[in-house]
Amino acid sequence: MRLLAGVIEIDGKEKLLMIEDGVARLEPVESQAQREEFGCYQLLKKRELHLRRGSVSGPGVFRFRYGPVTAGVREAGCFNLYTFGEKILHAGIDVSWKHRGIEEAMSNKTPQRALALAEAVCSNFAFSHSVAYARAVENALHSNVDMGVQNWRNILLEAERIYNHLHVITKLASAAAQKVLTSHLSSLFEEALRLNEILTGSRYLMGINQVGGFHHLPSLENMQHAINGYSLIAKRFEQLYVHSVNNANYMDRLHAAGTITADQAIAMGLSGPSLRACGVKDDLNTTISHLIQLPVITQNEGDALARMEVRAEEIMNSCEYIIDHLKISDAWNFNTDEATKSIRENGEGCGIANSPSGAVAYYVVLQDGIIAHARIFTPSYVGMHAAAFSLDEYIFTDFPFIFDSFGVHFSDAAR
Amino acid sequence: MINFFWASLFFFLAGALFYKKSKASYLLAFLGSVSALVVGIYALNSSEELFRMSLTPNVSITLGLDHLSALFIIIASIAWIALSLYSVDYSVFYPKSNLSLGFNLALLGMMLVLSARDGFSLLIGWEIMTIFAFIMMVISGLHYEKAYRFLAFGELSTACLLIGFALLYQSTNSITFDALSRGGSVVLIFLSLGFIIKMDIVPFHGWMRGIYGEMPDNAAAILSGPVTLMGVYGLERIIPVMPINDTWNLVIIVLGALSAFWGGLQAVAVNKVRLLPAYSTIENNGMILTAIGFYALAQSITNPDLHYLALFAQATSIIIALSHTFSKTLLFMSLGHAKEAYDVHTIDEARGVWSGVGKIPALGIVVSALSFSAFPPLIGYVGEWMILETLFQSYKFPNVSTEFIAALTGVLTALAIGLIGFAMIKLIGYTALGYDHGRKSRVISNRFMNSSETGMLLLILLCGVALPAVIILLGFPQLLTSLLDVPAPFVLASNQPIFGVITPTLIFIVLIVLMIVPFILFISKRTKVRKVTSWNGGLPLEEEEYFTARAYSQILEHILRNVYHTKEVRTKSRSTIEVEDIMLRPMNWLTRMVEKIGEGEALVLMNGRISAYVAYILLLFIIAFLIGMAVM
Amino acid sequence: MLKWWPLFGIRRHLTEKKAYTSPIRLQSLYGKLFQRSLFIYILDVGSSNALNFEISALESPQYNIHRFGIYFTDSPRHADVLLILGRPTELMLAPMNETLNQMPEPYYVITIDDSMDDLPMSPYPEMRHHVAQLKGIPSPSELLGLLLELIKNKRIAS
Repeated sequence: MRLLAGVIEIDGKEKLLMIEDGVARLEPVESQAQREEFGCYQLLKKRELHLRRGSVSGPGVFRFRYGPVTAGVREAGCFNLYTFGEKILHAGIDVSWKHRGIEEAMSNKTPQRALALAEAVCSNFAFSHSVAYARAVENALHSNVDMGVQNWRNILLEAERIYNHLHVITKLASAAAQKVLTSHLSSLFEEALRLNEILTGSRYLMGINQVGGFHHLPSLENMQHAINGYSLIAKRFEQLYVHSVNNANYMDRLHAAGTITADQAIAMGLSGPSLRACGVKDDLNTTISHLIQLPVITQNEGDALARMEVRAEEIMNSCEYIIDHLKISDAWNFNTDEATKSIRENGEGCGIANSPSGAVAYYVVLQDGIIAHARIFTPSYVGMHAAAFSLDEYIFTDFPFIFDSFGVHFSDAAR
Repeated sequence: MINFFWASLFFFLAGALFYKKSKASYLLAFLGSVSALVVGIYALNSSEELFRMSLTPNVSITLGLDHLSALFIIIASIAWIALSLYSVDYSVFYPKSNLSLGFNLALLGMMLVLSARDGFSLLIGWEIMTIFAFIMMVISGLHYEKAYRFLAFGELSTACLLIGFALLYQSTNSITFDALSRGGSVVLIFLSLGFIIKMDIVPFHGWMRGIYGEMPDNAAAILSGPVTLMGVYGLERIIPVMPINDTWNLVIIVLGALSAFWGGLQAVAVNKVRLLPAYSTIENNGMILTAIGFYALAQSITNPDLHYLALFAQATSIIIALSHTFSKTLLFMSLGHAKEAYDVHTIDEARGVWSGVGKIPALGIVVSALSFSAFPPLIGYVGEWMILETLFQSYKFPNVSTEFIAALTGVLTALAIGLIGFAMIKLIGYTALGYDHGRKSRVISNRFMNSSETGMLLLILLCGVALPAVIILLGFPQLLTSLLDVPAPFVLASNQPIFGVITPTLIFIVLIVLMIVPFILFISKRTKVRKVTSWNGGLPLEEEEYFTARAYSQILEHILRNVYHTKEVRTKSRSTIEVEDIMLRPMNWLTRMVEKIGEGEALVLMNGRISAYVAYILLLFIIAFLIGMAVM
Repeated sequence: MLKWWPLFGIRRHLTEKKAYTSPIRLQSLYGKLFQRSLFIYILDVGSSNALNFEISALESPQYNIHRFGIYFTDSPRHADVLLILGRPTELMLAPMNETLNQMPEPYYVITIDDSMDDLPMSPYPEMRHHVAQLKGIPSPSELLGLLLELIKNKRIAS
């Protein structure tokens, strides 16, 4: 299926960054029909920092501003909720507080330096960002990347997925006041972060991916430790998950909160668990056709519960995936010291990666080996727009469930 | 005393004659009210007949005063004094209308009602009061149709009184108040119905909704306070002397409780600044009616415990009437002051009276609204405690149905008090104590307004703090006793010798000792203090981000949406919540029916054709001829 | 047969027994004032989100910060320590100053700067009681060590 990930406009010329069957492609825009094919075209073209601007007026209607310094969401961002008392009539999200200008900072930097910047966009998606960026640069330079590197990238993408999904479910459980569940999930989350450190030396998988290669690989002892760790996480998480699904209180808070239909989700440009929860199979993880395929988990309701369930199953599948592939990873021989050969120094390219909350896409233009332009399309940008959209007509008590279930972050949306 | 009485009537008439010069006219009204107060104080301990004029051998117009009239004259005249003084400044906002005419004559009518000794003079005073109140409304620019509704209810009340007194004459050949004890149940029902309608009991409150928002505040205050007080006076006059009818007593108890509940319920959902006090009047009058009902019920049974309860219930009704009159007067005065200074209509728009308009109107709003919310040591607290205590003590009644109805009444009254507290907090929180967002109020001369508001404020506080004196003045010294080492007269007892409450006097003394003194000590030792704005996520709050008054009550409107028939009217960029007072539906239906029938009838009968009118003349001739034949 | 939630995992001991050391030495300005409890308010002014996740990790049972009396608050008015994550973006300077204004005396300010030099972030303004300036992304153990150093709490499980 075709998904629109980004719209690039440089010097008056427009290009569409498409994801078709899991592969990123650039398409120049020639006709109006191309623009109208996707509902999210305008959204991706404008890349606003004030999402869903608009207001509702009336006697007794006022704007409840939640932010930019909040205790609940803890990131710097502002919610503008229009209400006449309890019901949210219109929600708008202001992400400009965290705009750091990373795309501008990437210009005139070497690819290695810009990779560190890519990891700084949103450090809990650091690995997906660096993989998407590296793929974009490799695509621009027509580099040939070793199969071992590609495999390792996929393993660590799943590692990132595990701890992020655990974090989302922890936040949902905490919002529903399930204290025991929250504590146990929190301990699993911390275990996952420690396993990251064992595998890569960094708790957030930062500084290990490079353009065309890997900085270093974990030792056999570390890999064994990680295998034990992930199997323990999978077992414990399954126990907790089965328990939590039987708790009517918890399920009731999540059920029918923030429902979006499949058509709305596609029109808003969603991808990842938020899209899969509406019943649409996107093929973001079909890039690795030669390895054991990860099943695509979908649910049908499109509410917060469905998004949570998709994430829960993905955790368990990803743990299994990592364990299986770590066991066979010593068969992939490649030299980490050698940088892969690149043929050119100029070019433009795009790359995507399957981040925990959807597709992250990069577009880079290189000139003389230096980054000239960079464009970053993050999953949180469309995700925040969808979260604001789905908040309409719900009461404020459902707010933490609806917002947290999308798994979006302000630093990611604001770049 | 006679001289002061005639002086007050004279001042009112003079004020009406000089209506063109409004300031002078109101000052004359003030003088008349002061004379009335003096009359009342004189007559508290001595009864006297003031005037007698015979019309026929059986009917004469008698005016006289006794303890009960004196009480009510004192209460009413204090309200008149405050309002006439207030109107001296307030009349500036309605320069073209000649309100003072209606004002003075309505006061005259009320004076007549309070000093009437027989049905005829009562009716004269009643009609004067009603008609000139109506004239006040029409003069102030109100559309005729809405004012007619008030007149309709007023005339309904007069009609009931007329029928009652006519039946009394028929059975006893006299309409003086002494003859009431020989009247029957039907007389009781009609007379009390007339007084109840005047008290704005649900479902006779329908005229308020269209009118209260647009009347000037001194007229609204007159209609809310003293006019409903007349209804209370009438009931207090007839209930002790007329023969007992237990079913009717139970009916009025339930009606009172229902009215209290409905008043509180609707007060929560209104947004216009003047409608909230209007519904609070309904609520208080409902409580007064319940108290009167219990008084009547307890009197009929010869148990000595119940005799004490009857006394207690009577004291309750008078104290609630007193507290209501004073507090309502102050509330209307302060709200009118604030409203006219800002020139707005809704609670949300009238924010920040303390800093935007002035400290005295704000303090007036706070004190009167707190008095309605039963906040010690104000007088309203005493009234509401007493009505609840009356309901508690109803376990003494011998039969189960009475106790059951009393329990039901208790539920409704408690709900009413809770709801009215909510509504009053909304009023205070937004108007008096809210942020003013830089609103500017226009400059008005407010010397008289401020002085009358201050006077009323101090009086409410004084009545609460010096409650034992008030109770002795009202004539119920038996209610003050000592209990559990609290010395007399600091305990108000609802049951001898078991149960009572500490009067606000003692609470006030304790407050001084436990709150004022430590506060002073604390202030004197203050370390460095830093003032900051409220914490709102790091940015200062703008006006459109403030929680609105409508949002405050929206939660209750949503929970009770079946009672309010709450509806959301929503377009893409606009949303409103609408609520409805469903007790008004019968009245609205009736109005529409009357209009249709009237129109239809007019079209048929007054069809403009000469032949029809000639036929009417001929018909009348024939009828007169036939009647003449029958007589002869 | 599902186990009743209050009994779930009741025999599992998740709290780690470890000594936490602080990455930097600091002079505790108030001595033993916060020995019984320390309330922290988190203020994110422009971090790259890793620090927020580290704070979430700090709340996990392995660290069990409540045994040291360390809590996170919801309002700066109830806080003893203001923990600033990241260097401020230009827009966040005003809210940051307002938050500092709302902190009641006595309090500490700790800043953690995880930004890269290439990014146009504002420098920290002059703040009172600015006791610690960390760079990079410290692990929760290091943060906990720093906080324990701040309260000079000798109750470290060995």
